[in-house]
Formats: sequence, C-alpha cells, structure tokens
Amino acid sequence: MILRVEGLTVDFRRQGGRGVVRALDGVAFSLARGESLSVIGESGSGKTTLLRCISAHVAPDAGSVSLFGVDLGGADRSRLVALRQRCALVPQDPYGALPPSLTVLEAVMEPWLLVRGGRREGEARARSLLEELGLGEELLSSKVRLSLSGGQRQRVAVARALILEPELLLCDEPTSMQDASTRGEVLEMLCRRQRAGMSMLFVTHDLFLARRAAARGIVLHRGLLVEEGATGGFLESPRHPYTRALASALPRLSPLIDGSG
Amino acid sequence: MTVLMRRWSFWCLMILASLAVFGGELFDSPPGHPVASPFCKPLWLSRDQPPTIELRLTTEEPELSLDWRYSPPSGLSIVVEDSTGDTGRFVEIARPGETPIHLAPLRGGFRADGRDIAFKRSLGLPPFKDASASLFAAHGEYRLSVTGTEGFEGAVVIRLEGGRWGLLGTDQRGRDVAALFTAGVRVSLIVGLFAALLATFLGTSLGLAAGYIGGWVDSILMRLVDLLLSIPLLPVLMALAALWGKGLWQLVLILSVFSWMGTARTVRSLALSLRDAPYIEGLRGLGAPAGYILRRHLLPETFPVLLATMTLGVPGAILSEAGLSFLGLSDPRVISWGRMLHGAHSFGAFTAGAWWLLLPPGLGISLLCLAFLDVGKFLEERVDPRLREART
Amino acid sequence: MIEIRNLSVTYARAAGGEVRAVRGLSLTLNKGELCALAGESGSGKSSALMAMPGLLPAGTKVEGEILLDGVDLLAMSEDALNRLRWRRIAIVPQGAMNSFTPVITVGRHVEEVLRVHLGLTGRAARERMDGLFTSAGLDGTYAGRYPHELSGGEKQRAAIALALACDPDWLLCDEPTTALDVVTQKGIIDELKGLVGSRGLGMLLVSHDLPLAASACTRLLIMKDGELVEEGAPAEIVARPRSEHSSELVNALLRLEREGAP
Repeated sequence: MILRVEGLTVDFRRQGGRGVVRALDGVAFSLARGESLSVIGESGSGKTTLLRCISAHVAPDAGSVSLFGVDLGGADRSRLVALRQRCALVPQDPYGALPPSLTVLEAVMEPWLLVRGGRREGEARARSLLEELGLGEELLSSKVRLSLSGGQRQRVAVARALILEPELLLCDEPTSMQDASTRGEVLEMLCRRQRAGMSMLFVTHDLFLARRAAARGIVLHRGLLVEEGATGGFLESPRHPYTRALASALPRLSPLIDGSG
Repeated sequence: MTVLMRRWSFWCLMILASLAVFGGELFDSPPGHPVASPFCKPLWLSRDQPPTIELRLTTEEPELSLDWRYSPPSGLSIVVEDSTGDTGRFVEIARPGETPIHLAPLRGGFRADGRDIAFKRSLGLPPFKDASASLFAAHGEYRLSVTGTEGFEGAVVIRLEGGRWGLLGTDQRGRDVAALFTAGVRVSLIVGLFAALLATFLGTSLGLAAGYIGGWVDSILMRLVDLLLSIPLLPVLMALAALWGKGLWQLVLILSVFSWMGTARTVRSLALSLRDAPYIEGLRGLGAPAGYILRRHLLPETFPVLLATMTLGVPGAILSEAGLSFLGLSDPRVISWGRMLHGAHSFGAFTAGAWWLLLPPGLGISLLCLAFLDVGKFLEERVDPRLREART
Repeated sequence: MIEIRNLSVTYARAAGGEVRAVRGLSLTLNKGELCALAGESGSGKSSALMAMPGLLPAGTKVEGEILLDGVDLLAMSEDALNRLRWRRIAIVPQGAMNSFTPVITVGRHVEEVLRVHLGLTGRAARERMDGLFTSAGLDGTYAGRYPHELSGGEKQRAAIALALACDPDWLLCDEPTTALDVVTQKGIIDELKGLVGSRGLGMLLVSHDLPLAASACTRLLIMKDGELVEEGAPAEIVARPRSEHSSELVNALLRLEREGAP
C-alpha cells in the first residue's frame, strides 16, 4: 500500500470564530502501487482538503495518513520534502497552479531543476511531456501569464506535476476547463502512465470521468465517505442516496439517442 | 517606446534631464556667482529699462558706439586691464550731440566705479547723483573710444549695470535666475530619483519579509509602519534637519525613511496573497528555499507595483525637498528650486515685484511633478492592460 | 419571435487588431421554446447572446439585424433599448450569482427593480416579489437574507427571480449553471424548463456543457469559431450530427458515457 488513510478528520475554524467546519470526517481508504482511485466529490465535499492532507500541507485533527509507508504525522520536514518529491499534486485552480512570470517551458522544468538539477535533461523531459499533452511548440516560450487559456493552463499544470515522474499523482479536476475533445487526450495520457506503474488519485464530480479514470472509487459528501466500490457501479447501481442523486442529475447524451430522454 | 514618445511628459523630462546634465555649459560663470545687480528683470521685459551691458575696448576694436534708448543705467564701472603703465592716453565718451570727454585714464589697473565721489568730481559730475545717471541721461548714440592705441595690449571693460539681465533676470544677490534654475533641476531630479529609489528598495524588501515570513517579523514591521505613518512628516524633518545637518544626502536619506511605508504595505499584501498560491506552496513543499521563492517568483510579481510607485514617488520626494528648502531647512550651499523660493520669499521678491524669481522655480516644480505623474500613469497602463482598454 | 439575421460581432483588441467573435449568425427564437446555444470557449455564444439586449462593450462593431417582432434591436436608440430591457427581454448574465450587491438583502434587489421599472412599491411590490421567488423555487424567507448567506444554487435562483421581475417575454441565460453542483444544476435547469412552460417565455440558454444543453432544450444550436454549425432537435443532432466538429464532440462524449474503465 503506497497510501493508507485512516479515520482522517480535519476541522477548520469558521471565519469570525463562529464554530468549526468539519471538512473531513473519519475518511479511510487505501491505495496500492500502480492502482488508481477516483474520488467523487463536489465543492464542499472535502476533496481538496483530502489531497492537501496527503501532500502533507494540512495536518489532520484526528486520524492518520501513511504515504509510501511513512506516517506523515511523525515525519520531520526533510522527510516530508523527500516524500513530496515522489507524490505530485495538480491543483484545481489552473490560474494558481503555474508561476505567471515564467515561460511555459520554464514552468514545467522548474520542479526538475529544483530537485534534480541538470538543465538539458530537464528541458528534454519538459518538451516531451508538453508534446504528449498536445501543447504546440509556439506556446513553449510564451509567458504563462499572457497567453494561456484555462484549458491550456491545466495541461501545463499536469506536465509540471509529471516532470519528476511521481509514483503517486493527485489530480484535482484536471480536465474541468478542457474542451470535450482534449479532455479525452489528457485522460488517455494519465491512464497510460498509470498502466506503466504510476498510482493516481483522480478527483472529479463527473461520474463518467471517474469511471474512465479508475476502476475503483470513493464518494465524498460533506466530509464523509458515503460510498466505496467500482466506479461503474456508481452509475449503474448507486447505493447511497447522494450517489443516486448525483447519477440521476448528471446530464447525458445517450438517453436522447436511446429514446428514453 | 514609440507610444511613450507621443506623450508630452516624455519630452518634458528629456528636456529637463538634458538641462540637468548639460545646463552648466550654457552659462559662463557658476550659478552661485552674482552677474548683475539684484532684481534685474528678464531681458524680454520692460524694454525701456536698460540691460546690463559690458563693453570691451581692445586694440582691435578701440571704438564702440551704443544706441541708448533706455532710462539711465543704475551703475557704471570701468576696469582697465593692461600691464603697461600710464600711456598718457584716455578712454573717451562722446554723448549724443556732444564732443567726447575724457572718461578715464588709460592706465593699467585703473578701476573706477560710478559711485566714487573722486571719480565723479574728476568728471565734473554732481557728487550725490550716480555717475551713470548723469552721463547717460539722454537717448541717442553714445560713442566710447580710446585715444590712440599704440603700445596698448589689453582691454578696457566698461560695465553699465542695467535693470535687465538674461532669460530670467537676477535674484536678490544678482545671480542669474536662469543659471540657478538649471542648477535646481539637477538637485530636484537627484533628490527625487534617489529618495524614491531608496524608499522603493526599503519598502519592497521589508514588505516582502513581512508578507512572506509572517509571524512576529510581520507584526514588528507592521507596527513600525503604523508608527512611522502616524508621525507628522514636517516637524520630524525639521528636527532631523537641525540635528543631522542639512546636507543633500542627509535629506535624501530622511525622505526615504519616511516614505517607504506605502510601498511596504502594498508589497506585503501581494506577498501574502502569493504565499498561499498553489504553485508557491508546491515549491515550498519540494524544499525550495525561501530566498529562491522570493527572488524567482515573488519579486518579479512586485515589479508592476514597484514601477508605478517609483514613478509616483518621485514627485512626492521633489515636493518634500522643495517644501523643506522653502522653509530654509536645506543646505544653503545647495541651489534648489525650493531654496530659490525661500530666497525670493525671505529677501523681498514680493515687495520688489520680482515675479520672475517666483514663477520659474514654482512652475518648474509643478511641471516636473506633473511629468512624472504622467509617466507613472503611462507605466500603469502599460503594465495593466485593463486600464489601457478603458482608454481606447 | 426574435429573428437574428447575419449577425457579426467584432471586438477591438487592446493591442490593436480585431477579433471576430461572431460571423454571419442567423437563427430564430420562438416563444414557448427553450433554445440552447452550445459551444466551446471562444465560439462566440456569449457574444451572440449579449448582442440581443445591446449589452456588448462600447466600441464593439455589430453588424446585421436582430428583429424582435419585426423591429430591429440593433437600430434602436439607447433609450428605446432601456425600455425594452427587463420588461420584454430579461437577462441572467454569466456570473449573475456573484453580482449581487453584498450590503443589501436579496429582497431589496428585487424591490428596486420593481420600483424603477414598474413603479410598484409597498404591498403590491411585496406580493409580486413573493410570486417571483416562488416561481424561482425559493420560499419567502429569502427576501430578507443577504447574498453571502445564500448558497450558489440559491443565489442563481434569486438571479432568475430578479430577471423575471417585470414579467418579460424573453429570458436569456448565459451559463446559468457553471460552478454549481451537479445536483443543483439539475434543479436550476428543471426550474428554467418549468418557467418556459408555465409563463410561455421564449428562452435562450448558453452553455459550454453540451450534454446539459442537449438535455435541457427543445431546440439545440451549436456554434464553433463564431459560426453556427448545427441546428435542430437535440436527439436529431446527437444521433446524426452533420458538421465535422459536432460529430467529433458528440462522439467523444458518447464514448465517455458508454465505455467502461480502462
């Protein structure tokens, strides 16, 4: 198990001191090497807090996170830094995910230069990643701030996360701003890596994307893990009322053709 | 760049900067030296007043004529520059319609001033009236000459003090106002630029430290900012000027120390917001040292702010310097526009009606400040495209 | 009926040059019909929607005709358009739910519209307001609440209530469900569908989410790069897309819906 989460509880103090908000309530699951897991959740479900606990940016109020066999709660700073180099996060907001003053190529290379060094190798890796993600050559030398659309930023953020070849990739809605055509490409690329041995935690609110990204998934609602199982099952036979509501509310094209819509 | 060149402020600043650098070449004597009588009007004003004229009679040019159409000059001086002794010759003056009379002996080292009673008596002029007034009472053509020039190797300098001089007249000490103005540009620009630069540097570093490091560093720095902001600037500047001395660089230092706070606050809030950006958090998590993050990421983000605050800080510094100088708190040896205004105010420019002493430095200060403000606006538009769209 | 004939919208770029957001768009909207305009970002759908009530930024070049019951909206004076807005054509713009004034209650927002555009005050205004909130699926307690106290979905419903204040004939909604939860999205769409039925409104819904647009509307329009590439019944378009772009799009989405995990 490269990731084990047990009884994870995180509380945030409300602004103005009016009590606490329980972002995560006793969430528990595990992830094996080379496996991917979909985390289905919407805003307010605690999904972002979960990812930030796993990357050790948030300390839990109860429960534990064990990453690559190391308990994050007891690890010192240098240990955590070493762990984070093996586990990368693609943030939800593409506008905060990239340094605005760097060029696209530099932005992707930066983690490599920081951790490994070796400019030439870093540049080669960055170029191949960007090409794989379908970002044209002409974008590579333009500044992040100026020329990228939301969808392009998301893809650059994915490249930036992948350059250190993480063993675990945490993605928070990495395709939300993509057009339907490019969404498939990014997913395909991530699944290719997963088949090659990278574990992935894929957060989304779209059950179809969740099914495409991983065979197994968990459903988060208001900080609670309400359902766990096969992602296909969430669509076909959801058990928890929230999952059911989600499945029925998801807009679909198929019913229009099948005549049931 | 071409867009910048379309703005009036660019050309204004270029002209003033050239004046600051090359202005000294335009004038013969250093700006602090008197060149004419006090409170001379500019040449282009009241044409009936005589200009200050200096005539040189030399071996090549022993005769000069003067078409005098003004009121009599206020002073007269004659200096004979020659190493030979008494040649027995004379300097003559022929008044309009009269025969030439001896003005002065052509003897090396001879000096006479129109106020010398002995001089007046030698010419038979009334003793209590200025010689120049008696001599040049009438309008018409005057001829000044030297009787014979053999053996004479020098010059006779005859100076008629008028009421007009130069482009901008003279001040209470007879110094050329145009020269003073040019010297003042330099001081204003130096003080303005350096004070703004230093303040920006201080504000940026302290603001970044407060915003990024946070904790007690932030608290201490922000309390310091509050403290400095609540202190009224002028009394403190006056006290410090009295304590530390009135040198130019002391002034720059003092002005910077009291104007970095605004920049610090802005930069601090920028640093606070950036500190929690996902990419910064990610870099920190990967072990990037704070110095790297500050240098590579936070500092470039502050450049737009800095550029604008710097160009807007310059007018502030210029005005502060002008104000202090006007109050007499600056180095009296340093010529600045504020100092000129101080001189004008303290030494009777108002009563003398010498508006040419007040307008140039006053307008100069306003113009320089407005030019910087306009450039600041231009830079803000450049940096923030949203403001640019609003214009079109 | 709103008829758009050969509409072109061209923006001036700040750095110089132009962007043609809409090229030669022609379409018809009928009352009692929920029409959805779908397209990817940059397809020009929002520009087309904003052209109708004349709400494009100053300096934008607009060519063509937009006929509301035969009268060209693009040729109207600003005064005439002002009288039209809210009363005949109402808009729920993009991000409407975040555009409430934070310091006054939601009810005050509606009261102000009623007072300015219909001259209603006091009891008449309050009664009408209750009716509006009910139409939008909110109960009466919402009138006294501040915008920050409402959830995203509730704010969007309040924005719809605001748009319906003067009982317009036409409702134009730009991305009314973006940034909302999936379940809330469905609620809003159902609400909008109901309004078309109960009030006989003509509605134009703009969305980048094709499945959402297709499942909400009775007539689907797809735009790409400023041009209309697809028009017809949603089932028809999904089953037999005519343009290359829409068939790529539809196929990609259907594949996602039908395929299992890798």
